[in-house]
Amino acid sequence: MSKHQYAMVMDLNKCLGCQTCTIACKKLWTDRDGTGYMYWNNVETRPGLGYPRQWDRIGGGWKDGTLQPSPLPPMDDYGHAWEYNYEQRLYEGKKQPVMPSPEPQSGVNWDEDVGGMNADENYFFYLPRICNHCTYPACLEACPRKAIYKRDEDGIVVIDQERCQGYRYCIKACPYKKIYFNEVTGKSEKCIFCYPRLEKGEVNACAAQCPGRLRFVGLLDDPESPVHKLVLVHKIALPLFPEKGTQPNVFYVPPFNPPKRENYGKSILEDPRVPLDYLVYLFGAEVKDVITRLEAELKKAQEGGRSEVLQLLIGRDAETRFHVRPQLVQIQV
Amino acid sequence: MRTHLLMLIIATLLQPSAPIWAQTGAKPVAGQSLSVTASSAGIDTLLTGGPAAWNQIVAKRVALNRTPPLYDTDEPAAVEIPMLDVRLVRAGGKLLVCLSWRDTTHDAATLAAVPNTPPETRFRKVPTEADDRFFDAAAVMFPEKSGGGAIAPSLQMGDAEHPVEIYYWNATRGAMLMQAQGRSTTKRTGQTFPANGTYQNGQWNVTFELPDLPAGTTVAFAVWNGSQKDRDGRKYFSVWQVLE
Repeated sequence: MSKHQYAMVMDLNKCLGCQTCTIACKKLWTDRDGTGYMYWNNVETRPGLGYPRQWDRIGGGWKDGTLQPSPLPPMDDYGHAWEYNYEQRLYEGKKQPVMPSPEPQSGVNWDEDVGGMNADENYFFYLPRICNHCTYPACLEACPRKAIYKRDEDGIVVIDQERCQGYRYCIKACPYKKIYFNEVTGKSEKCIFCYPRLEKGEVNACAAQCPGRLRFVGLLDDPESPVHKLVLVHKIALPLFPEKGTQPNVFYVPPFNPPKRENYGKSILEDPRVPLDYLVYLFGAEVKDVITRLEAELKKAQEGGRSEVLQLLIGRDAETRFHVRPQLVQIQV
Repeated sequence: MRTHLLMLIIATLLQPSAPIWAQTGAKPVAGQSLSVTASSAGIDTLLTGGPAAWNQIVAKRVALNRTPPLYDTDEPAAVEIPMLDVRLVRAGGKLLVCLSWRDTTHDAATLAAVPNTPPETRFRKVPTEADDRFFDAAAVMFPEKSGGGAIAPSLQMGDAEHPVEIYYWNATRGAMLMQAQGRSTTKRTGQTFPANGTYQNGQWNVTFELPDLPAGTTVAFAVWNGSQKDRDGRKYFSVWQVLE
């Protein structure tokens, strides 16, 4: 366990799937050779395939204190980059239409907005994902090179690029498949929770750029931080797949709106638009308690009262959403 | 991790081809010796001449052992490469080693070249073409301090008192010199060395140019089979051999 732990809360009710976070991250960290398919931050439609495809069903993580097996997702599950035949069409006089090649078969957010059907109603929501900077990182345990470490000062999990040999045991072990292999450097890479920014007092790029203002950042053990309040005080944010055993430090406020058509006023627990089974699959059984709490807060506000929880979730300004404490951070020598 | 190490040691000791000294550090005995031929051939000819350049040199057939599963999550692997042919020549003040082994799968790739211009100035970046492939490789390991004394280093990348040098060649990434003082301490020195690999008719012939190691030096060999997802300690290894 680290001395402190940075954490992020994402309110899924506010995510509009615009991918601004994805681009902010990509421009800052993965605009290099060998990083084309890397999305340290990605936003996927749920229910859906995810990125890489079916990452949530292939294994990894812990069970009874033992690492669980998992295949290494092949490139096909991330999708291959394609190019368009502009040259032929525009300069060589070829008549065929502009087409991508190779034919796209998969990609990041490939099944955008497809979602699922609940009886005759379509439903979906967006799930932004970064490395969970787990309290018990399976990747760290799996690395025979001891190249992965959890920073004692802030709990951020990083890969030492000097020690990494590109064995990819970490990718197999990560139940969230949030580590990517860079074939050009022969090493693996992952989200670094923007620690160089945090050390300067700046919040993570994905959080800073989010137009939906759905990301909250701070130290989980700092009573003043919004993440502490949302996760530990109000108890309305949950980790993804808690049964994977890694104890993530990224938390989600589950989607609890809208109600099904013509069921306005009913509880989501009575007649959910997003099937509860699916939310339980993602966030565990506790999601029902969280939705109950959220609905109670909503009711309070609708009846003219003031809900501290909803005020916090609205997150009007950066001071409310982010609580970066660079003075707590001691750089490791 | 400690359990894994213990399992590895027990499993290694149980293998008939890995004698007790392989772990305890006693020097190899007769039967594990390698003869070295003096040659007037040029180093380049031996390094890059392919199998023909080594036709006249008698090979010593060395048994390879498959490392037992190192991790609980490892997929099991069959023994596909039981033998390694080793040829040694002293020429031009160097020790040249030719390792030959049969491998029905050719796991090598030509990675896209990285342009000299910095990535931020380019619209197109060099892509990762595959993220789940591993490549054939081979290595020669010997003690950092030649001559040695009565104790050979631990076969698992040496130990704190007996650091080792590892001359590693990878079918895709080329040759790199490494140093280690025990398992999981291997580090790249950033240096390379002359080496050459050719794959013909289901057989690898890989030549290494090593420093002129004196007689009595212990050397050990390792082979990785990319299609068996070999990397790290997931590999084939020989026990220590002694240069005559």
